[in-house]
Amino acid sequence: MAPGADTSALLAALEGLGEQVVELRLPLDAPSAESGRRLRREIADQLEDYVLPRLRRIDAPLLAVVGGPTGAGKSTLVNSLVGHRVSAAGVLRPTTRAAVLAYNPADNAWFEEARILPGLRRVTGDGTADPSSLHLAPSERIPAGLAVLDAPDIDSVVTTNRELATQLLSAADMWMFVTTAARYADAVPWEFLRAAVTRGTAVAVVLDRVPVEATEEVRTHLAAMLTDHGLGGAPLFVIPETTAYEGLLPPDVIDPVRTWLHGLASDAALRAAVVRHTLDGAVRSLSARVFELAAAADEQAETAAELRSEVDEAYDAAVRHVDAASSDGSLLRGEVMARWQEFVGTGELMRALESKIGRVRDRVTAAVQGKPAPGADLAEALESGVEALVRSAADEAAERASTAWRARPAGRALLGDDDLRRSSPGLQDATARAVRDWQTFVLDLVRDQAQGKRRTARYLAFGVNGLALMVMIVVFAHTGGLVAGEVAVAGGASALSQKILEAVLGDQAVRSLAEQARADLHRRVSELLEGERSRFTTRLDEAAVLESAGSALRASVQDVEDSR
Amino acid sequence: MRLRGRHRRADLPGMLAALDEAVEALDGRADKAALKRAREVSARAGERLRLSGEHTVVALAGSTGSGKSSLFNALSGADLSPVGVRRPTTSKAYASVWGTEGAAPLVQWLGVPRRQTAWRHGSTDAFGNERLSGPDTELDGLVLLDLPDHDSTVVEHQHEVDRLVELVDLLVWVVDPQKYADQVLHERYLRKLSGHASVTVVVLNQVDTVNPFAAAECAEDLRRLLDEDGLRRAPLLTTSARTGSGLDALRSLLVDAVSRRRARNDRLVADLEDVVERLVPCVGLDEPPGVGSKERSRLVDALSSAAGVPVIGQAVAESWRLRAAGSLGWPPARWVRRFRPDPLRRLHLKGKDRREVRHMVRSSVPEPTPTQRAQVDTALREVCDRASDGLPEAWQRSVRRAAEGRSGDVKDQLDQAVVSTDLGVDRTPWWWKAAGAFQWLLVVAAVVGAGWLAALAFGSYLRLPDPPTPDAYGVPLPSVLLVVGVVLGLLLAWFGRMVARAGAVVRRRRAESRLRAAIEQVVTSLILEPVEEELERHRRAREALDRARTG
Repeated sequence: MAPGADTSALLAALEGLGEQVVELRLPLDAPSAESGRRLRREIADQLEDYVLPRLRRIDAPLLAVVGGPTGAGKSTLVNSLVGHRVSAAGVLRPTTRAAVLAYNPADNAWFEEARILPGLRRVTGDGTADPSSLHLAPSERIPAGLAVLDAPDIDSVVTTNRELATQLLSAADMWMFVTTAARYADAVPWEFLRAAVTRGTAVAVVLDRVPVEATEEVRTHLAAMLTDHGLGGAPLFVIPETTAYEGLLPPDVIDPVRTWLHGLASDAALRAAVVRHTLDGAVRSLSARVFELAAAADEQAETAAELRSEVDEAYDAAVRHVDAASSDGSLLRGEVMARWQEFVGTGELMRALESKIGRVRDRVTAAVQGKPAPGADLAEALESGVEALVRSAADEAAERASTAWRARPAGRALLGDDDLRRSSPGLQDATARAVRDWQTFVLDLVRDQAQGKRRTARYLAFGVNGLALMVMIVVFAHTGGLVAGEVAVAGGASALSQKILEAVLGDQAVRSLAEQARADLHRRVSELLEGERSRFTTRLDEAAVLESAGSALRASVQDVEDSR
Repeated sequence: MRLRGRHRRADLPGMLAALDEAVEALDGRADKAALKRAREVSARAGERLRLSGEHTVVALAGSTGSGKSSLFNALSGADLSPVGVRRPTTSKAYASVWGTEGAAPLVQWLGVPRRQTAWRHGSTDAFGNERLSGPDTELDGLVLLDLPDHDSTVVEHQHEVDRLVELVDLLVWVVDPQKYADQVLHERYLRKLSGHASVTVVVLNQVDTVNPFAAAECAEDLRRLLDEDGLRRAPLLTTSARTGSGLDALRSLLVDAVSRRRARNDRLVADLEDVVERLVPCVGLDEPPGVGSKERSRLVDALSSAAGVPVIGQAVAESWRLRAAGSLGWPPARWVRRFRPDPLRRLHLKGKDRREVRHMVRSSVPEPTPTQRAQVDTALREVCDRASDGLPEAWQRSVRRAAEGRSGDVKDQLDQAVVSTDLGVDRTPWWWKAAGAFQWLLVVAAVVGAGWLAALAFGSYLRLPDPPTPDAYGVPLPSVLLVVGVVLGLLLAWFGRMVARAGAVVRRRRAESRLRAAIEQVVTSLILEPVEEELERHRRAREALDRARTG
């Protein structure tokens, strides 16, 4: 960023990006979701707390945040700089729970308003332990144009402390990183320092509580470590261990730090350079992290699509299964016949008679064709047949979809404690209802088709049945039975009736009738299974994963890059 | 201060065996990580139990710069472990062994390098010199380890700590006023050790760096944090390796632990309880209800229908009637029967071929309809749901797998069951032959009567004098023969048909119930027994876990 360059385009682009990041939802527990959510919060915080306010007022005082591990003496350092206790220091860990901001009263206007860290409530007067507040401590000892913020520890056992520290550090123009001789090699603080390097934040390191005899060795080692981590240019201050532990550090000990800060404060150009360095680094580091965030958003969309396709696969298979089962004919033919009989109005008596004739007819055809006679007991009631089919298919699909979802963390989270491995309890009733509706539909179909031919149809139906009776007698005479008693034994005459049906309506009409009936059954079954499917898909819909979120983020980053 | 050991001396080998049994039974049916951990703990406990029980392994663990090494050196009375200002200091564990009898394999098992191990008999110091102050046998049986730090930038240290923390009998966590509230320490280690309070000691070291009042305050705050971590029972000591304050208390605690020789068992029991607690949710608390009789009979019904039992039943009745007609029917009309093949034969369920090559024969019973298949699926699902009700999901799945495991065989076995079931239609009732013979007799009588009448008619046609014809009750004998032969024959055929019909119903029922029994057997051996085995396995796992928990 060139000095004095117009930053309004960049600001607008960053504001756009900020909105998108804030609005981004990562509801599914995809593998990257956890880190993505953290990243989203970090990016949003950094934009909100630092980058945007800083860009809006590039001339605001430089904010140096004092951060470091628990017990490193951060508060003591700030108190010593101020000259009296503004931040509680002590042996209990963690000491500082709320942030304390020390600045020159001349800079009051910059800090009382919610320009930086808008999420924190401003508090003056005596110390507070509320982690969501910012304790303001104006002091003449702090040079104008500079503010020092005492942050809580970054590695404390108290979670809110860690989060607040992270938030404060991301709002800093400069880090004053405080560590001690005992713990300068701790892993957690170094992770923060690494983050500072990637974000391009300016860093100064204060090595506190150094036993006098160890000064040289520790200092060299720390300096080497800093260089290894790409912080070779960072100023390093060593503060020896002193007896005045609880109060303030002796002036001569704190002087190098103070002098350096004053120098920084009085040199506007240097200050501006530090600000720009950090700001530039922050914006630069944003794009890489936003890309990572966009990848997480993409993964959300992918996960959602995968979860959905797993459900679809299971339920599509169920619909196909029912279709295949109903296309083998036994289901449909029986049903169309039943409606036909109702239409022709032959009623119960005729049906009973037909079944008896049918038995004989079956025997005749069986005798002639040499096939086994179908058992009358075998013919399941149609309603229970379709019901059993749909229920079994729905159970199968529910089990499949549920198992697939349970296998993924995202699916598990969406399912929660609900057990969806079986079809919903209301399915059986719904199926019965759907089957009854379908029967009505088929009856209407038959009625429409045969409206003008009703008389013929009825006549034929009776006639053929009478004929069949005669045939039966003849057959019985042949089989050598004693005839009339045999009338009492029976089967099902549907094929014969189908012949009548075909004779009355025509072969083509019967076929289209069956086709329409099948299509309607398919529609109804699909609807039923759709309801079952929605038990899964509504959960996905509620999660409201935006497919385009990732690409929108990338586009915004491109905007930011273009306007830099 | 001393360790508050467990109240009960547990039967550790028995518990370990029970754990192994539970792990074996839970294989594939429980959280993988929990099982892996259980296996590790079991293996490790077995190893540790084989090693010296006379020794107690105590580890000093803690953050970098908390003074573990200083404490270690102070306790062992020699500068074994390097102390320095450069962090991190100790990179490999150091060991100091008091009372070396049998300790060598133990130290080897711990993986501490030989040159970092100091061996001392009661009367010698770290350098093998005679002790001036007399033999120090109090600590005999102590293996003291100085662990590397767990929180520095050097990751290998952390791995080494993680490894050794799992192995040692007694853990002494060394913290200092600066970093006693570190997240890493509490979240990564102490919170996970809440079940190990009986073998955990926390030492607040370097209390000399703050004033006594502040030190007490620190200790109090640390105590609160430890309580929050679930380490209420773990003792907390304050020491200063530099000034030597508090060292005696620590030493006497160690002496106590070593002399009681309970830390090893307590540690292993705590490990064991930890994994058992993690495994318990994988088993659940409820006993599953098992296979219900209602579901069972529904499954048998569905499979019977799918296996074509109704078809066969009808064929049996038909076949019976046909054969009856063959034997009892009116002989002149019996030829019609040839047009009607035996339905059982068409199903391949009849005749010699079936009996002789039973295992090679397949029936021709029609394939199940989609509806029947759906009914079987639903019935099977109901059986599994009921049988595994209340079990954790993994077990429900495994029960389902067990039920379906041999579904490939089910169709074949059902067919075999159908083929090999005696349908009870092969034997012919004795009276059929007699009745059949009688029928022929009647036919002969009718033919004789008819012939006779024809001869008489022919004679009278030729105007021959009528030969004398015997008569019965005033009716000429040939007429009697013809009429009685025909009428009686037809009546007998009708009677035979009626009887055969009743017999067909009986045989049909019998055949169906036999088939059902055969199918039930198949269902039991291929579906229900695997399910029961799985439930038995669950019961075994639960009981083993119970035993592992209670010792």
